Amino acid sequence: MSLNPGAVPTARSISLAWFAVALLVAAGAAIAGTAAFYELKPLKASGGPTTPMNTSHGPGNVSVTDDVGRTVKVPVNASRVAVLSPSIMDPIFRLGLRPHVVAVDCYSAAFGGLTADYSPDQVALWNLSSSMCVQVGPTLDVEQLLVKSPQLVLASTIISVADVEEISTTYGIPVLILQPPTLSGILVDASILGTIFNATSAASQLNAELSWSLGNATTVQQNLTNRGTNFPTVMVTYSPVPAGSPSPGYYSFGPGTFGTSLIELASATSISANATLPYPELSGAQVLAAQPTFIVYGTGFGLALTDYAQGPDWSSFSAVTSGHAFGLNSNLLTEPDPTMILLGLPALLSLFHPGVPV
Amino acid sequence: MTDAPSSPATSEILPVRLRGVSVRYDHRVALHEVDLTVSPGEFVVLAGPNGSGKTTLLRVILGFLPVAEGVAELFGSRLDDLAVRERARLVAWVPQDEAVRDDPSVAEYVRYGRYPYRGRFETESAEDLRQVRGALEELDLADRAHDGLLSLSGGERQRAVLARALAQATPLLLLDEPTSHLDIGHQLDILERVRLLSRRRGTAVLAALHDLNLAARFADRVVILSRGRKYDDGPPRDVLSEELLARVWGVSADLRRDPRSGVPYLLPHHRLVEPAAVRSAPGFGPVHVVGGGGAAAPILRWLVDRGYRATTGALHLLDTDAETAQLLGLPMAVELPFAPLGEEVRAAHRVLLGHAQAIVVAPFAIGPSNLANLTDLEPYAGQVPVYLFNPTPIESRDFASGEGRRGWEKLRSGGAQELGSWAALEAALHGLEAGRRLPSRPSPPAATPT
Amino acid sequence: MTASAAAREPAPVAIRAPRRWGWRAGLGLGLAAVGLVLLSPLVGSVAIPPQTVAQIVLHQLSGGALAQQPCAGSSASPTLCSAYVEIVWNERLPVLLLALLAGSALGISGAALQGVFRNPLADPYLLGLSSGGALGAAFLYVFQVGETEASIALPILAFGGSLATGIAILVASRGKAGSVETLLLTGVALASFLSASLSIVLLYNPIGSLQVSFWLLGGVGGATWNRDGIAFGGILIASTLLVLHGRELNVMQLGNDVAQSIGVPASAVRQRLILLASFATAMAVAFTGVIGFVGLVAPHIVRRTVSSDYRVVLPLSAVAGGMFLLAANDLAVSVVPNTQLPVGIFTSFAGAPFFLTLLYRHRRSTMTGET
Repeated sequence: MSLNPGAVPTARSISLAWFAVALLVAAGAAIAGTAAFYELKPLKASGGPTTPMNTSHGPGNVSVTDDVGRTVKVPVNASRVAVLSPSIMDPIFRLGLRPHVVAVDCYSAAFGGLTADYSPDQVALWNLSSSMCVQVGPTLDVEQLLVKSPQLVLASTIISVADVEEISTTYGIPVLILQPPTLSGILVDASILGTIFNATSAASQLNAELSWSLGNATTVQQNLTNRGTNFPTVMVTYSPVPAGSPSPGYYSFGPGTFGTSLIELASATSISANATLPYPELSGAQVLAAQPTFIVYGTGFGLALTDYAQGPDWSSFSAVTSGHAFGLNSNLLTEPDPTMILLGLPALLSLFHPGVPV
Repeated sequence: MTDAPSSPATSEILPVRLRGVSVRYDHRVALHEVDLTVSPGEFVVLAGPNGSGKTTLLRVILGFLPVAEGVAELFGSRLDDLAVRERARLVAWVPQDEAVRDDPSVAEYVRYGRYPYRGRFETESAEDLRQVRGALEELDLADRAHDGLLSLSGGERQRAVLARALAQATPLLLLDEPTSHLDIGHQLDILERVRLLSRRRGTAVLAALHDLNLAARFADRVVILSRGRKYDDGPPRDVLSEELLARVWGVSADLRRDPRSGVPYLLPHHRLVEPAAVRSAPGFGPVHVVGGGGAAAPILRWLVDRGYRATTGALHLLDTDAETAQLLGLPMAVELPFAPLGEEVRAAHRVLLGHAQAIVVAPFAIGPSNLANLTDLEPYAGQVPVYLFNPTPIESRDFASGEGRRGWEKLRSGGAQELGSWAALEAALHGLEAGRRLPSRPSPPAATPT
Repeated sequence: MTASAAAREPAPVAIRAPRRWGWRAGLGLGLAAVGLVLLSPLVGSVAIPPQTVAQIVLHQLSGGALAQQPCAGSSASPTLCSAYVEIVWNERLPVLLLALLAGSALGISGAALQGVFRNPLADPYLLGLSSGGALGAAFLYVFQVGETEASIALPILAFGGSLATGIAILVASRGKAGSVETLLLTGVALASFLSASLSIVLLYNPIGSLQVSFWLLGGVGGATWNRDGIAFGGILIASTLLVLHGRELNVMQLGNDVAQSIGVPASAVRQRLILLASFATAMAVAFTGVIGFVGLVAPHIVRRTVSSDYRVVLPLSAVAGGMFLLAANDLAVSVVPNTQLPVGIFTSFAGAPFFLTLLYRHRRSTMTGET
């Protein structure tokens, strides 16, 4: 029994063990530091010694600045392309680039060409199957994408930053983000596609059609203003808030959305243009109070008039009672693509201003 | 500042040396200028009523509480200068009630005591094993070494705790009520062992004990604490006296001496303050007081002072009335603070009401949470005398939007008698007691003399 | 007299020690881990023959010296073969490693936190450490950090968030209010405050919200070798330091006062462990998002099957956590074809009933009073 408080145990084993711990901690720091360095400055996709899959890029590369400001070096006229958004699939299809597409998002794959959008022979060309689908919503199936061996990925901003980073850095496949910021951005994207697929003449022709449609709407608006005609107030809803939800109502377009831009271009005033949220839910009372002259409801994708008619106060809306509620395929209103300008805009114009030449 | 009388040599480094130590919790003074020494091999018992500062003193020595004033030294080093680990090699602690949640084996648990001797990367030394084995054998736990701690009986578990402290191989051992959960046999067992250890190993022992007879039997020296101050300090035969018990504990007792050993022992009789007197008195009652918020307290005191047996309810815990009743040792029905009176509490209250010879309704504030106190009275209004003591009008203390007043009126129309002054209340109760108009009923169990 | 006293001794409190299988369970856990690690590279939305997978791994590990034709014996074209190599080497293996690493970090953090708080319900997710990391990461989108910087800013911001939460819990643990219940409740309150803050950030940032909310559900799909490297380094440091505290945690189970009397500086150890657990959690959250219940389930499996000795619980919780997350991820990948479900869904499916069971047991044991 030692009464001596200072009886320190022998220390031979201490230094060795501390040394081991210090070594482990230093190793951890070194590993983390090295990895962070490579993460910041990706040198080369660590594909290992196998033949890299993306060396044969055809005639060469071209640098393109995409819609989020990234400058990406992409192969010219890539023969294997993954298109991960319906809004990109639309111009691709219109430019005759369908044969280049090897992978698509499951949404594009599922709807298989809308008769509303395209002529029957175009629809037959569409031919996208579920085996080509590699992305559901924002969830990308990287393995399925890789197995399609694409040389280029075209995506909207729905793709996650992490996935973009992974595809471009880890696998060395360039990713171009095409998400037009405004209606005129749709023309810019068509030009980008024309450039990277050597399809400038097709792109010019598409853009000419787009410009004509936009110009026509502007002219109509000018004429109406000159004549002192008031723009009608409208509600454009693309979906009812599902029945049974705590606050049923109607999803609509708020400030800064393509839907609102399109409505304004069609010389009408949206009742939700100044909402706080980009995609506000309008209650029945709000619609009653705003008394829109026209109501446009989105159809297709499993939605029909009956779904809207179950919404709050639907039958009391003056637009409904006066027969000014019209169904329009949602695809013409929701995707920022050429279809929106070529079909959606004239459709709205003819609804809001019947008789005015389009 | 003198050393303890039994200290063999004043020049020796003392295990414990406190000089003028004061400790505060927030603003309350828990210890006030306490001097204390413990010498090597000495068995010192700290005694004193609840709240006198025994545990606080132990916690100071363990370094859990900062010393506000004074000097505290452990083996010649100031407490603040000792690292936790160093201190653990000097002093071991056996708490009153050690929480054991996971279930190490007894041996594993006793090994914890070797913590301060082992570096982080050291394996168990031969000395560690020797100490652990020694502690297990010393406390007769060797054959239970591989059993789970939770499978031990209370006595065995306390022995395991002692073994754990023993494995710490400290020259000082602190015990805080180490036997309070044990029966008399195990109490003696544990203390015998501690004394034996102290003798054999020269370990200084400082133990807080409730039982003064155990203290007298085992202690070399007894230190009496009262209200945070040291009251007395010396060998049991000098310190323990009838006067000490009366002054510090408020208990009347006889002091006898063990004819064989000469060790003093105390035979307590009764508490010198009210509750014991009430219980032993054959007084009239029980008189049940319905109250709350301090309204019943003066009535309860008055009843107890006059030798009535009293009960009360249904109160909320921490309420002034509940505190008073607790202090007076009265049976009562209590609910958790601020909760509406629950069914269980109301049932308990009805039991008390059923035993009552008379019911006094104190002028308490009636709110939604205690409205049931009035409504539950209704069946008794015609059965026993119910006195509505009403020095302040009912309207002024009805916070149950008129419900209180309605309940009050209902009682009055049911046969309850409204009394406006103390004098009237006193007269009514005296008259009742004198008349014994009602056949006596069995009294509630808690109110019977022990 | 002693004999009769013993006869009157009340029966010991009826808390049965959990049945355990000791080292056998540890061995079983280890074997299961090896089996799972070997099987996981075969799981994915693209069916690759096991032989090809094995050859690819061998080929890559040996620097091309062995299995020079990784797709020999299968009918894969050269293009498909190089896709296979990419999938196995750059997708499945980093994901596998990240699942193991993040699971280990959460498991060991959970074990340490449960030890520190002496509460079987403590867990980095329930205490808000994970949510703190998530909130930190959400600021990435508020500040519109560029895409390239994001990969490194994300872990840093997440780490900041977790650490801030850990410090907040620590601050709450100072002084007299530092009882175990207070701490746990502080954590729970913090967690809901943080998720409310997150909701606000998400509500007013709809473009980013899609990304953040996906990330919030948790997943190991974003794994790359580089990220695995960062995670591995950080988790190695944190785990090494955590594992060293097994003895202290054992002693601290007796209560802070007793622990101090035995020589464990309980409050200092508590602070150190909470910070280390925050760090380990952040390293996981940064790369995987918020994955719940791993830190709750893993230590319990170890405690119930192997031992409650923290020297064993800490390292084995890391193993069990890694396995749990890896198994959950294998399920997430394979349950619905062509879709990787967020792995957090599966850990929650397994963990939530577990949590309720524990809560029920815990309440019962505190109500019957264990001493």
